[in-house]
Amino acid sequence: MLAITKSIALQGLDGYLISIQVDISAGMPHFEIVGLPDTSVRESKERVKTAIKNSGAEFLSRKIVINLAPANTRKEGSGLDLAIAVGVLAASGYIDNTSNEELFNNTIFVGELSLNGNIEKINGILPICIEAKRLGIKRIILPKENAKEASYILGIEIIAVETLVEVMQYLNKEKEIKSEINRNILDETKQEYSMDFSEVKGQENVKRALEISAAGGHNCILIRNTRLRKNNACKKVTNHITRSKF
Amino acid sequence: MLARRLPTILPDLSFNEALEISKIYSIVGLTSKETPLILKRPFRSPHHTITAVSLVGGGKIPKPGEISLAHHGVLFLDELPEFNKNTLEVLRGPLEDGIVTISRLNASITYPCNFMLIASMNPCPCGYYGSKEKECVCKPDQIKKYRNRISGPLLDRIDLHIEVSGVKYTKLQSNRAEEKSEIIKERVNKARKIQIERYKDYGIYSNSELTPKLIEKFCKLNIECKQILEMAFENLGLSARAYSRILKVARTIADLEDSEEIEKRHLAEAIQYRSLDRKYWDYDNKNYNN
Repeated sequence: MLAITKSIALQGLDGYLISIQVDISAGMPHFEIVGLPDTSVRESKERVKTAIKNSGAEFLSRKIVINLAPANTRKEGSGLDLAIAVGVLAASGYIDNTSNEELFNNTIFVGELSLNGNIEKINGILPICIEAKRLGIKRIILPKENAKEASYILGIEIIAVETLVEVMQYLNKEKEIKSEINRNILDETKQEYSMDFSEVKGQENVKRALEISAAGGHNCILIRNTRLRKNNACKKVTNHITRSKF
Repeated sequence: MLARRLPTILPDLSFNEALEISKIYSIVGLTSKETPLILKRPFRSPHHTITAVSLVGGGKIPKPGEISLAHHGVLFLDELPEFNKNTLEVLRGPLEDGIVTISRLNASITYPCNFMLIASMNPCPCGYYGSKEKECVCKPDQIKKYRNRISGPLLDRIDLHIEVSGVKYTKLQSNRAEEKSEIIKERVNKARKIQIERYKDYGIYSNSELTPKLIEKFCKLNIECKQILEMAFENLGLSARAYSRILKVARTIADLEDSEEIEKRHLAEAIQYRSLDRKYWDYDNKNYNN
């Protein structure tokens, strides 16, 4: 049986859509990934196989061929694990993909699998979500740890999952998972610094230059014809004197 | 060190800028689970043993380097002459363009790297050349060798040159209240807001990103200013690149005062920040006897 799932891989700062085509047919037991997979993608074979086995499903001993389209670009990263696993499960009949084609067409799967079927966090979730939104995809299924980062992108359903079993239940409509919503986007702006300009005595010309530099984003070079650390040393000494009561 | 305190006065990030930075940090896996969005301007200070590849980015499938991680923030290079010369020269293009394209066999990838370069250095190996407090003990050719590690073209791309002199003991002891970072930051924020508002249709955020065409449009000089600039050019032997950089800095100084036009004093201050390389990088050797 054939199953097709979608995922997004990264090239630099931009994501691009990958369609993962899984075909299971009769023949000698064989598991192959084609479509220029990198080492990390090729290794996902073992992760997928074991994770499926440890999630209570059977990994069929048939001829399984997976194609990552477009087949002429090199794919890297472990983020395709989940999409491959879901494809294999759908092709083996554990996930019903014929009756809910709409769901499969509008869903992106990203996440790395661990051997026990847990879904681990991946890098680059933000550009992936931005690309998904641009492509007009409705929902994205991703690791729970990445959920908060993804939720900064509005207008796309963020389904955060922890295990492969959960994904199976969700796709078979046995379990509902609410979309992650971020309510506080910029409320963490309160910034604390341990240093302050007021601690440095004098040096008005330097302070002024740095102020201009910061205001306009200009480059600046400081040429010190003194051993600055001496000042710091002096400051440390005075600090020490005032604190010597302890 | 003042440069280390720079993050305390950097202007606040806009949401779009934060998103741009977070994208880069997301790819290299530097975002934290609790606060995935980068809300502070980055401050990167790599050690001077850094290689050219880790500075600009690279790898089989190119990953962003330090300059991209400093996007919309600060790249602080302490002890600039100690860096490998080749490493510093790779900064030339990115400093001008704000992007870096890294080409490898498998992929060619462009990363943004619109950063502020803040560098610090001593003028000579002993550290006292040009100082009023102590005499320099370096030989002229030693000094020349030390300075030559920083090339003219790189120095040309640095808008502000500033001399840091020692502080007198009486000043260290004085109880005069120094300005708090908060107050400076307020002024910086105000000036940056003016810029963002002015450039909102041009897709840039600050004066440093102005293109030659935009400089012509937004950095207009009156006759008096033009005369000053002409004089400065003749006397200081400035390059064409210095010309546009002086205008950008003058624009920022005017913005800090909330002044619509660039006035004489703004331009004069901007030129003054350019005059130091003549003092230290005097290739005619005439200034070497301190």
